[in-house]
Amino acid sequence: MPFACLRPLAALSLASLLALPAWAADPILIGVSLTQSPPGSVVQGTQVKDGMEILKDLVNAKGGVLGRPIKLVYEDSQGIPEKGRAAVEKLITSDKVVALAGGHQSSVCLAEIEVAHRYKVPYVNTNCWSDDVRKRGYPEVFNTSPYNTLVSSSMATTLATMGVKRVVAFAENTDYGIGQAKLTGEMLKQKAPQIDYKYETLDRSSKDFTAAILPLRANPPDVIVLSMLPPAAYLVMNQVYEQGLAPSPKTILYDGSGLADYPDFWQNVKEAGKYMLSFALYHPQMKQTPLATAIATEYKKRTGNEVNRLVLQAADSLELVIQGVQAAKSTEPDKLVKAMQTMQFESLRGISNFSTTPGYGAQQWLDIPFVNYELTAEKQPIAQTVMIQAPGQKFDPSKIVRPAK
Amino acid sequence: MKPLRQLWTDRLRFDLGASLAICAALALVPLFVSGPYVLGIILVSMYFAVIALGWNLLAGYTGQFSLAPAAFAMLGGYTTALLDHHLKVPLVLGIPAAVLSTALLGWVLGKLVLNLSGPYLSLTTLAFAEIARVVIGNSHEFTRGDQGLHVATLTDSRVGYYYIFLGTLVAVLVLLYVLLRGRLGRFMMAVRDDPVGASSRGIDVVRIKTIAFCVSCALCGLAGSLYGTFSQLVSPELGLLQQTGLVLSMVVIGGMSSLTGALLGAVLVYLSSEWLRGFGDIQIIVFALLVIGFARYLPGGLWGLAAQRLQRGRP
Amino acid sequence: MLALDLLANGLIYGCFYALMAVGLAMIFGVLKVVNFAHGEFFMIGAYTYVLVSLKLGVPPWLALPAAAMAGALLGWLVERLLMRPLYAGYASWGFMKDEYAVVVTFGLSLLLINLVDKIVGPYSFRGPPLIDVGRFAFGPVMLTGQKAIAAVVAVALMIALALFIKRSVWGLQIQAVAQNRLGASLAGIDATRTTSLIFVVSGMLAALSGALLAPLVNPSPDIGAFPAVKSYVIVVLGGMGSIWGAMIAALILGVSEAFFSVYVSYDYRDAFGLIILVAVLLLRPQGLLGEKGREV
Repeated sequence: MPFACLRPLAALSLASLLALPAWAADPILIGVSLTQSPPGSVVQGTQVKDGMEILKDLVNAKGGVLGRPIKLVYEDSQGIPEKGRAAVEKLITSDKVVALAGGHQSSVCLAEIEVAHRYKVPYVNTNCWSDDVRKRGYPEVFNTSPYNTLVSSSMATTLATMGVKRVVAFAENTDYGIGQAKLTGEMLKQKAPQIDYKYETLDRSSKDFTAAILPLRANPPDVIVLSMLPPAAYLVMNQVYEQGLAPSPKTILYDGSGLADYPDFWQNVKEAGKYMLSFALYHPQMKQTPLATAIATEYKKRTGNEVNRLVLQAADSLELVIQGVQAAKSTEPDKLVKAMQTMQFESLRGISNFSTTPGYGAQQWLDIPFVNYELTAEKQPIAQTVMIQAPGQKFDPSKIVRPAK
Repeated sequence: MKPLRQLWTDRLRFDLGASLAICAALALVPLFVSGPYVLGIILVSMYFAVIALGWNLLAGYTGQFSLAPAAFAMLGGYTTALLDHHLKVPLVLGIPAAVLSTALLGWVLGKLVLNLSGPYLSLTTLAFAEIARVVIGNSHEFTRGDQGLHVATLTDSRVGYYYIFLGTLVAVLVLLYVLLRGRLGRFMMAVRDDPVGASSRGIDVVRIKTIAFCVSCALCGLAGSLYGTFSQLVSPELGLLQQTGLVLSMVVIGGMSSLTGALLGAVLVYLSSEWLRGFGDIQIIVFALLVIGFARYLPGGLWGLAAQRLQRGRP
Repeated sequence: MLALDLLANGLIYGCFYALMAVGLAMIFGVLKVVNFAHGEFFMIGAYTYVLVSLKLGVPPWLALPAAAMAGALLGWLVERLLMRPLYAGYASWGFMKDEYAVVVTFGLSLLLINLVDKIVGPYSFRGPPLIDVGRFAFGPVMLTGQKAIAAVVAVALMIALALFIKRSVWGLQIQAVAQNRLGASLAGIDATRTTSLIFVVSGMLAALSGALLAPLVNPSPDIGAFPAVKSYVIVVLGGMGSIWGAMIAALILGVSEAFFSVYVSYDYRDAFGLIILVAVLLLRPQGLLGEKGREV
């Protein structure tokens, strides 16, 4: 055989030998417990699943982690704490996942972290805002999710800066809603004691809130804060608009649950969403890594919707597990936990590490970037919203747009 | 031809025998299976079995078609949890307290529905169940609302809890056998089949109904309380109407008016609902189709079918 | 004036509740069983209305009859496939019809909710309004065009139903079968066909109420829970089988809920109706307009 042929042949066989491990490598299993059927929030579960799927595909296309592909194992928690507990237990003991992610409902999270703690498997909290998840202080729990203290204190600062006199908050009757409303009130007392603040607890399964809204018509407040999730949040917005209460030249709506970028936001509120002020965790103007941009493009391609903060949060939690594996150079749960506790991670929106402050800050990414923006037109893409508080800047009330009549 | 009474006790004895045989089979499972997940699933099905037996006593044997079993399990669980959370009452007192409180609430409910029957009774019990769930879910200061309450546990061992539940199940079966074997059982069925006739014969219908409610609700409360200590969490979702629907499906699919039917239904339906996880997205759809299919085409339930076959040869 | 506002709002919602509940009252009156899937008829109607008008571009006024058709079809299918065993002489279910009905309708409810969730998706939609009038003042009260029109349509439908039951041949047959099934069939009425008709009408009304409320409640797959429990309360309050009773009870419920939530508590607003249910059953078991004697 001529020598000239041998070299490419050798190269070819060498290449195929090297390629074999990638095919034969067993996947890294990561467990995801989320809501895929009622009575939980399937809307949230769908967004979380989409975010994680896209990141997984992007990572696997580049060769996976430590030479192994990632495989996501899903379980349906139905939004019921007991089912979440059973789901996580199955994922850990039966499927032998190396880590868990995707929790998006606080009451279910609280049940699931117990199981993760018992088996000492790392659990990344994707979207459970309740401070209680952190306060348990379990070393296996890593919080990349926004937390009530962050949101409430920033909202209180915003309200104080706005220089308003009366604020009414509508809170849903859950741990999240009541927690946020109470915290915001407490922080307001410190930052701006002159503001008259009160909150109403509303039943989140109710469909008609006119009775709660009507008494405000006689003396409308300056700001109506929403600490509610869909579907009740959309109904409150519609009914507040219907009663002519907000948005109006006097009263502005301020959302504290990050729902302005939900895929079904505009189809549910239509004109009632105009002029709404939103505390937001994602805006195209925020610093983003190339990975984040790739995810945004892929999400648009797959679903036709603009990427939003929940999708990015989900991808972030998966990314953290991946970086943990890379830092630990292993998938042993205890090594993973140790690595994640001390590593500096690069999330999709910034570089940080998990704080060691006890209480609400336990293993929490403390300085999650946020902005405040205002929606000024129906079906407005986020990029075109009016930025009232740019990333890292102060809240500038002069930028707020009010309706003419 | 044997006297009627003896036919009844014969059948009941056969019933008990069959259900104890199932329990014996369950007792052997940990010898072959050590994975905590599978044991946990069977354990939860035993929780449902106790509730199903309690409900069966009330509906299958006494004809009081209550829609509140899951709510009473929730109330039992919350009794123990609240005592633990607020007053640090140890479980050895907390669990019996749950039985007592649900027996009492069951007595109250029984009194409420004394003069009602059929759908009126069902709806009143439904209203009671929903009121309980909403009140517990919304009383945030007291019950921490939808977040649920943390509960202490009897033991950390999964196998240990397995046998605790199994032991409870066997005790409940024996208790029900004793209750039903005597006059009480026959009076209950009389109340179910013909309340007017029964009272005209001198049966104290009020007393029978009350006893049925007390015992049934206490059993549900016991199950809920034990379950709370197992999962170390009670939340208002325990009392969802959907859970009651599940219990009813279990009894109907297993076979009403028999101990084995309720037990078999609970175990099979719960195991299959977990097994259906493999279907991924459509697991609930498949489950719903199964429930409808069974109810529509297999009226006696699985045990009804099996018992017919098994007893065909007997005199 | 707050009280006037609450009254107006309560009455309007009362009309909607009445439309939701009246179909259930009919089924109760005839079959005497609890239908766990009633809320899903509402949901299917709402979804048909929303999908037909949003995805197919049909004007909302035509989407209403489409929703009615969907409800009618579903009602007919449910009766034909699932409810026949209750009375078509299947002996083994004879004394257990309550259990059977509950389990079968529970399964049906689960099935429909999850089918819609998988096929259409979990996101909720705000249905397009029938008339594009936004908010307007009606005297001292603030209304929207949709609320006003929907209330008017609901009332019209109920009047039509009342006339149908009282005057038409089919209506009389329905009354006969409701009073005494055996007697009616002895008199030559086809009880099975009449029952089928009842389910069709019930399905149609529930679906229409879903369609009318679609712009107001933003339907999602699990929207059925809301009309279902309210309907149970109303039907028992009003007196089983009494359509007038159901309508009056619905109005009372709507108004008292509104006042209760403002003057007592928003949190327990839904529990309030249930408390009323229990109280009425204890104090006046026949409801407002039902016949005495609640043994069925």
